Amino acid sequence: MFEKFIDWEKNRHKYAKDWKKRTGGKVVGYFCTYVPEEILYAGGILPVRILGSHEPQDITEPYIFGMFCPFCRDCLAQGLQGRYDYLDGIMISQSCLHIRQAFTSWQKHIPVDFDYYLYMPNKVQSKRAYPYLRGEIADFKKAVEEWTGKEIRDSEIDRAIEIYNKNRRLMKNLYEFRKEDNPKLTGLEAMEVVISNQMTDKEEHNKALEEVLKNLPERDLNRETGVRLMIIGSEDDDTEFIKMVESIGATFVVDDHCTGTRYFWNEVIPEEDRLMALAKRYIDRIPCPSKDWEDRLRIPHILNLAKEFKVDGAIIIQQKFCDPHELDIPAIKKALEENGIPTLFLEFDVTVPIGQFKIRCEAFFEMFMEEDLF
Amino acid sequence: MVTAGIDLGAKTIKVIILDNGNILIRKIGLAGFESKKAAEDLFNKALSDTGIKKEEISEIVATGAGKEEVEFATKKVTEVTAGAKGAVFLFPSAKTVIDVGAEEGRSIRCDETGKVIDFAVNEKCAAGAGAFTEAMARALEVKLEEFGRISLKSTKTIPMNAQCAVFAESEVVSLLHAKTPKEDIARAVHDAIASRITSMARKVGFEKDIVLIGGVARNAGFIDSLKREIDMDILIPEEPEFVCALGAALIGKK
Repeated sequence: MFEKFIDWEKNRHKYAKDWKKRTGGKVVGYFCTYVPEEILYAGGILPVRILGSHEPQDITEPYIFGMFCPFCRDCLAQGLQGRYDYLDGIMISQSCLHIRQAFTSWQKHIPVDFDYYLYMPNKVQSKRAYPYLRGEIADFKKAVEEWTGKEIRDSEIDRAIEIYNKNRRLMKNLYEFRKEDNPKLTGLEAMEVVISNQMTDKEEHNKALEEVLKNLPERDLNRETGVRLMIIGSEDDDTEFIKMVESIGATFVVDDHCTGTRYFWNEVIPEEDRLMALAKRYIDRIPCPSKDWEDRLRIPHILNLAKEFKVDGAIIIQQKFCDPHELDIPAIKKALEENGIPTLFLEFDVTVPIGQFKIRCEAFFEMFMEEDLF
Repeated sequence: MVTAGIDLGAKTIKVIILDNGNILIRKIGLAGFESKKAAEDLFNKALSDTGIKKEEISEIVATGAGKEEVEFATKKVTEVTAGAKGAVFLFPSAKTVIDVGAEEGRSIRCDETGKVIDFAVNEKCAAGAGAFTEAMARALEVKLEEFGRISLKSTKTIPMNAQCAVFAESEVVSLLHAKTPKEDIARAVHDAIASRITSMARKVGFEKDIVLIGGVARNAGFIDSLKREIDMDILIPEEPEFVCALGAALIGKK
């Protein structure tokens, strides 16, 4: 049922190259989900998120300092290895220091036709954030227009917003099926859908989603759900880890990842000033911890997800050296545990030690099954 | 009711056969390369030594890093759950269980029934596990048993900064070149391991009583360092390396 998404995710580069060939459009690689993709899409450009490959590598050392997170180094390695050689442009919306390093190093060492650093404010809770970001998005729109030599019309922005909003709604509908006592899809399948979402044409993704949503109600996974888990943390596209956890008596029913709910949870609320509508969406979205201050707005949201999806326990996982998440994790862990949700903390590297993580996860699950054990 | 616990660890295999809470036999052997066969042989040896037939054992519970290798097990639990269960059986007052084995250190907080409340496992450095003491004893050319004992003679604190077992060995070499007495180096090594283990245990928190289990609990030098580091008394069972196997056998009793 999810073959198409898996194919897109596994063969992401082939997809993008084919897309270019068949549409004649440009492809822009982006480094952070704060990028207002709607502008690119309205300009006829395919935004694809640059992700790592989870293979050990030895080529980034001269191009990025070793203290930056394994994810950003893995991303840069993809560029240095030429795997994204079809990109016409790259861009980032200002986010954490780590991924900014990967972007600027790419800019310097793997030059492309167009590169753009969008000054997304970090203090999204400031009352000046809306007009500020609106201005930055206007500059960005102008830069894209100059690059492509084509004006982006209001009608095109409206269409992009409509397609993106539809995708967000469909993703939420898909997640609804994970709330059931026996979820209609596994966490692994959900992850394949959401990762592929970040690298395909939304119109095509929407079509595939509608197809799946039509057939899901009849689906019977015929597997034990086990411990209902939430996974919380930084960027996560480690399908091997998800697969392992779901093979030892648990199911991921929801996530708080930027390769997950943080990406699609919020819609653009249309208004006459399109750029302001976009600015509001990106300011008000479920925040990344690099932006979630002074109030930690993510915590009540996470608790709410845990309740809605009937979560038994949470795995909190971060990229090694990810300081924004490191700052938030103690508070998140405390909030969950105070609400009766035990947590297990793990740290990602480019490859995860599956055997060691398995023992830790098993021991964690045994905490839920002690009635049976003793 | 007769139950068995098999702990297939990173280096050794431990077997315990239990009859209503009484230990009938304990067996220990090397896991080696063919750990699946080694586990089976050791278990069969335990059976023949006690004269118990396999069919008479109502539950065989496997634990340890290689528990999946024990194909004849009827149940499997992790060493975290088994360690807590075994430690609380031996010391009902136990609230914190520190388990230091060959390749891994663990700290577990549990309730009075042995139910795990929280746990942490060392993940980044070999310098917090038993294999490190073996390597260091080799570097000092002393037997492992002696390595623990001589460190008790030292009263000197020499900080070792290396996080990694290989670089720690380089530090030991530097100390040797500086003509540092062996006992001082031994103590520095035990202090370093104790510090790694304590730092991990702080993540889950200490609560009295603290029980130390695992093979490294046989090392007097390490115990001394750990007591100084956490500044609390530590309870040590007579056969510390068998506690996970015992816990597994107890879980089989349910």
